[in-house]
Amino acid sequence: MAVHTEETMLVRVQRENFSIDEEIDRVRRRSTRIGGIVTFLGTARDRSRGRDVSSITFEHYEGMAQKKLREIRTRALERFNVIEVLILHRYGNIEVGENIVLIVVGAEHRVDAFQACQWCIDELKQITPIWKLEHTPEGEVWVEEHP
Amino acid sequence: MIMVRLFGMLKSMAGASDGTLALDLPEGSSVRDLIETLERQHPQIWELIAKKKVVVSVNQEIAQEATPIRETDEIALLPPFAGGASGTSRGA
Repeated sequence: MAVHTEETMLVRVQRENFSIDEEIDRVRRRSTRIGGIVTFLGTARDRSRGRDVSSITFEHYEGMAQKKLREIRTRALERFNVIEVLILHRYGNIEVGENIVLIVVGAEHRVDAFQACQWCIDELKQITPIWKLEHTPEGEVWVEEHP
Repeated sequence: MIMVRLFGMLKSMAGASDGTLALDLPEGSSVRDLIETLERQHPQIWELIAKKKVVVSVNQEIAQEATPIRETDEIALLPPFAGGASGTSRGA
């Protein structure tokens, strides 16, 4: 049961901020064979497509978002020579400079960790049902709202 | 009656502040029938589906036109994801 709980913690979609140190430790604890940990941290920019952005609201499809992130973790573990993968995404209102998304990959060697980390964030952006509403001085814009 | 979940810009497009759209589809319908109903009732949303900007999901998986729909299924319309699946935006 403890293992199940720990695995649940390795893929999360949550409103609250996270501690990067704690999340890295969560991966580090999984195996003493880990020799390299690569992280990707996505943060909220104050500018997007030529417009100032004051904050961003993330909306997700509860259930499907988690399912897709679990799939990405499983596929990364199968596809790359890595030991552990953690994927975390926030939703709700996020101020400029705040954390949005974190990927942590632990592997024996750095090359595998770098490759898997990049693959995970690219894949996340392609298949995870998460939407971004940018708040700008001119109003609110759903990103990709350009039919 | 099928309840369709809406996300992102689709909520305001459909005028559905609670995020759901009720559609009357006969038994034995498929995603194709759902899209045809949207063409009549919500042409703006239908246009986005026709342009493949919006996809239909059934039970949390992207569906094809032939995918059958039952009243108990979880149906949703998914606009382009924040990551820019259509390749027009650059993410973080």
